[in-house]
Amino acid sequence: MTSNSALPTDTDALVLTGVGRRFGALAAVSNVNMTIKQGERRAVLGPNGAGKTTLFNTICGDFPPTSGRIHLFGQDISRLKPHQRARLGIGRTYQTSLLFTGLSVLENLYLAVRGARKGRFSMLKAGPGDADVAYARALADRVRVTQLLSAQVDAISHGQRRQVEIGMALAGNPKLLMLDEPAAGLSAAERPELVALIRSLPRDLTLVLIEHDMDVALSNSDIVTVMKDGVVVVENTPDLIADDPVVQSIYLGGGH
Amino acid sequence: MIMMTNRQWLMTGAVVVLLLMLPLFLPNFWLANILGRAMVYGIVALSLTFLAHYGGFISLAQTMMAGVAGYAVAMMAPTAIPLGPLAMSYGYAIPLAVLAATLTGALVGLIAVNTREIYLLMITLALAVGFSLFAQSNTQWFRGYEGIRNIVGPEVFGMPFRTHLVFYYVALITAVLMYLLVLYVVRTPFGLALQAVRDSARRTSAIGFSVALHRIGAFALAGFIAGCGGVLITFYNIGITPSSIGLWPTVAVLIMAVIGGLGHPLGAFLGALIYAVMDTFASSIIGHDRFNTLIGLVFLTIVLISPDGVWGIGKRLAGLGGGKEPITDPVAKLTAGGK
Repeated sequence: MTSNSALPTDTDALVLTGVGRRFGALAAVSNVNMTIKQGERRAVLGPNGAGKTTLFNTICGDFPPTSGRIHLFGQDISRLKPHQRARLGIGRTYQTSLLFTGLSVLENLYLAVRGARKGRFSMLKAGPGDADVAYARALADRVRVTQLLSAQVDAISHGQRRQVEIGMALAGNPKLLMLDEPAAGLSAAERPELVALIRSLPRDLTLVLIEHDMDVALSNSDIVTVMKDGVVVVENTPDLIADDPVVQSIYLGGGH
Repeated sequence: MIMMTNRQWLMTGAVVVLLLMLPLFLPNFWLANILGRAMVYGIVALSLTFLAHYGGFISLAQTMMAGVAGYAVAMMAPTAIPLGPLAMSYGYAIPLAVLAATLTGALVGLIAVNTREIYLLMITLALAVGFSLFAQSNTQWFRGYEGIRNIVGPEVFGMPFRTHLVFYYVALITAVLMYLLVLYVVRTPFGLALQAVRDSARRTSAIGFSVALHRIGAFALAGFIAGCGGVLITFYNIGITPSSIGLWPTVAVLIMAVIGGLGHPLGAFLGALIYAVMDTFASSIIGHDRFNTLIGLVFLTIVLISPDGVWGIGKRLAGLGGGKEPITDPVAKLTAGGK
């Protein structure tokens, strides 16, 4: 994972080559090399301030990388805008829910469906039996918010917002799904539902997950990347990562 | 087609029927100089309410967009004094003028595409004042200080546009169409995405929408609406001058929209009506020089009592009266099945 020479192949969903992101003098992320295969479940762990969310934002385009290249299925997306990357098949959620609070749950999901295809500027209302509306309803079923379709998003609970977030990220049938702490703030009762949802995702979908909850992270990943101070410190399989001395010192050693 | 409950349709229909029948009861002065005027200025205020409520943009360029349409129709009008080199029939001049306002709206959106809040306000204010000063100093096309006169509008069914009844009905029909247009568009993918940009621009782009294009599109649509109002205002004033699109008229549109309430398209027309009534009768009550004081006090009172304007007061009164928000079918609301 350290050489720059490995060219991205077709089965590589996401390849980061020397990716860095600076904010003025602060290097939030530096020299990250990472290859994620298609269909892989990857968890990114690390203490607060390790640069996990910044790394997400460089991949999704909210903060484009200041150095390095990002390839999505062989295509260089380093300079693309967030909406262009979304159209290439990246779906994501945010650490704190970013939803359209003035719109209903169904409208949020419907917009996410429409954003993934042409006709985004359409000034015609959906007709009766519209396929996109039907699909938005199916998404609501999938993330279990069917009872809330007409509720305005600022009136629903935190846990329900997390579910809508995931529904919106799935709306464009993404090839790469990036979940930023999906379990954050969920109650003990809500977590199993989230895990079940993650497990129900199609196997060819590539998943990158930032998660503080070790159990959720380790039980839902093929490979775990541990970050600290903006750099990748360890990359290994879940059963080996917990025993890694570096990981224990930075992650478990802190009284976890 | 447009999302309203049965009750809202019934009330809207009743109000429109009432407005259609008003010429039977009201003197001409009220028809044209109060209601007609409120409707044409209300259309320009509606353009601002649309941007503010659904897009989250407070723009001061709406009078300028209306002014572009006004000047365009004046330059192309066959009746203009002095007659411009582009003179053509009103049948061509009016749509071209509205098109010019639409393009101007898109241009304003493009210039302001990366600005928010106070900076957007400053940029649009600068554009509005700049355009007015340009019109004042350009004698060749804009005819400088004097402006362009005798823009009387086309004949409708053989009657001059300035006939009270003709003006009233054209203003009414245009206002209702613009109102319904806004209510319709905000339920379409374009309009929903505009509200999405307002709530979270980051998330909007993360699901594939170009935030910049949607902002420009919203300003273009606002330019279209303001342009329709601008053409009618020019006919109402029988011409256009730089002072009619200067700083004060620019602020007046903001005052109308805020007094009426930025929370609903109807607020624009309520605010314009209150403004027109006060502007007309203030002189006989407190003297014309005191109009600014009066409108300032009314503005202050309404903003303090009800930040969402007269429309907000009405909404709260309706809520007190036991009127409950009807439960709507979310799918019907989104699709054409909605009533």
